[in-house]
Amino acid sequence: MEQLEQLFSTVLTRHVFLIFGVLSVIGAGAMIFSRNAVHSVIGFLLAMLSIAGAYLCLRAEFLAMAQILVYAGGIVVLFLFVVMLVEMTKYKERKIFQTQTPVALVVVLISAVTFLGVFLKTIFGKSAEVALTLNPELTGDGLNAATHNVQAVSRGLFADYLLPFEILSVILLVALVGAVVLAKSERG
Amino acid sequence: MPTISLTQSLVISLIQCVLVVVFIFVVVPLTVFAERKVLGYLQQRLGSTRIAGHLGGLTGLLNRGMWKLGKVPVLSYWRGLPGLVGDVMKMLLKEDILPTKADKFVFWIAPALSFVASVVVFATICFVPGTFFTFPTWVPFLGGLPVSGGIADVNVGLLWILGMATVGVYGIVLAGWASNSKYPLLGGLRSAAQMVSYEVPLTLSLLAPVLISGSLKFSEMSQAMAVGVPLWAIIPQVIGFLIYLTCGFAETNRVPFDMPEAENELVAGFHTEYSGMKFGFFYLAEYVNMTVVSAMAAGFFLGGSWLLPFGLQGVVNPYLASLPSWLVTLLCEPHAAFFAIKIVFLLFVFIWVRGTIPRYRYDQIMAVAWKYLIPLTLVNLVLAAAVRLAM
Repeated sequence: MEQLEQLFSTVLTRHVFLIFGVLSVIGAGAMIFSRNAVHSVIGFLLAMLSIAGAYLCLRAEFLAMAQILVYAGGIVVLFLFVVMLVEMTKYKERKIFQTQTPVALVVVLISAVTFLGVFLKTIFGKSAEVALTLNPELTGDGLNAATHNVQAVSRGLFADYLLPFEILSVILLVALVGAVVLAKSERG
Repeated sequence: MPTISLTQSLVISLIQCVLVVVFIFVVVPLTVFAERKVLGYLQQRLGSTRIAGHLGGLTGLLNRGMWKLGKVPVLSYWRGLPGLVGDVMKMLLKEDILPTKADKFVFWIAPALSFVASVVVFATICFVPGTFFTFPTWVPFLGGLPVSGGIADVNVGLLWILGMATVGVYGIVLAGWASNSKYPLLGGLRSAAQMVSYEVPLTLSLLAPVLISGSLKFSEMSQAMAVGVPLWAIIPQVIGFLIYLTCGFAETNRVPFDMPEAENELVAGFHTEYSGMKFGFFYLAEYVNMTVVSAMAAGFFLGGSWLLPFGLQGVVNPYLASLPSWLVTLLCEPHAAFFAIKIVFLLFVFIWVRGTIPRYRYDQIMAVAWKYLIPLTLVNLVLAAAVRLAM
């Protein structure tokens, strides 16, 4: 009985997370390597859903659900919509994609180095010893981040980081208006 | 309360899953049957009454007697029911046709996505807030342990439901694309646009309960909306309920908004090329989705597992003290049966609307969502905020 308990607890805390991690890597690989654009989108969907599962294993429930709602539910659907409407075979794929190769390489290199730096710092640096908590002084008064995940996140967003949050939403609004303007002017 | 070990809680969750699946597979076939019968009566005919062979013995005698009296025999109302078994057998045994140029993998995964996304929503739907029942002590391993009214009544339950509803769109869109045929593709594209559009007012209409109850947990929301609101909260609740139900019809592709499968325009829409059990999964998913929408409407707006809808229960409760105690218990305590009855009633409303309202034109559907429903939900949200402020 004790062994069974032990087994379940390791499976739940460790292996499920690993499964989701592997699944997300598989999904990302399928997204990049598949020849068919719709298959790529399905790979993307798999990656997004399993990343949400990984968040769930880390007890970031709100983040997991936001991942499903925003990425799986919104962005990937729009991708699919565009991919279905635009027949990729009609374009000469090489000419579309390979002009961007040098720029893409530079961007990927820069971001890889940055991420590597962050990873090294979080895994081997000092910050790994302290658990990451969002404003510990706010979680003190009855807000347990594990049971009141949404409330904790919303406090962070709407109380402590209100200005950056609002600036971000203004940027998004600008992007939205810009997209509408571009689409309108193209139509004439 | 005894402490629960991890293994025990896993076993209990498994039992809950089985119960929910049983609930789904009882409600869904009965809804299919009820749809045939209710639509029949709405159109002044009997609906499905025939099975192969005839009923003999006592029941046959009764039926013949009633025919002689010039009445439709009571038992023949139920005679279409065994036909459901035939339907299931047909779906399972029919040839599974794969169109020549279809994309095999996507063609196969689309119905699975559709069905799974509709069923997993039930994980966070809470039939009774708190304990559903407690195992008696003689049960081995689980004796004396409480079983809660929902499988995983997590604190992001509503977001899970909405997220899975959006994942359900993929089933339809991918089915439309993978069939490699004109009508399914048109059906898939239409449904993508329609469902993504209607998700906006649907989510906004559910924000009013979130605002009033201050939670995203299904049980807490249900409880707060049923017994924890003042009388004037009824206004945003009624408006929200009507908007939610309208969007629910659109999300499940039911009749006033059944654009993805409008049969006189698109043959059968996204599942034109599907046959056998693959079609069966789409069919099941539609009815499971209807049940989900009904369960959410019942839980958030119709008082959940309490008797009275729209938060009236909380208003009435203080005046019930003079009644005998067993009656108070019956009327005021959470009751899974009340919840189930509300779900069944809303399923009936689905069928009722199908028999009553003709299909909208496509541009009308989009106009309803963007020009009328979204502003209405925003007004409703302001009302809900006012209620919250006054509480």
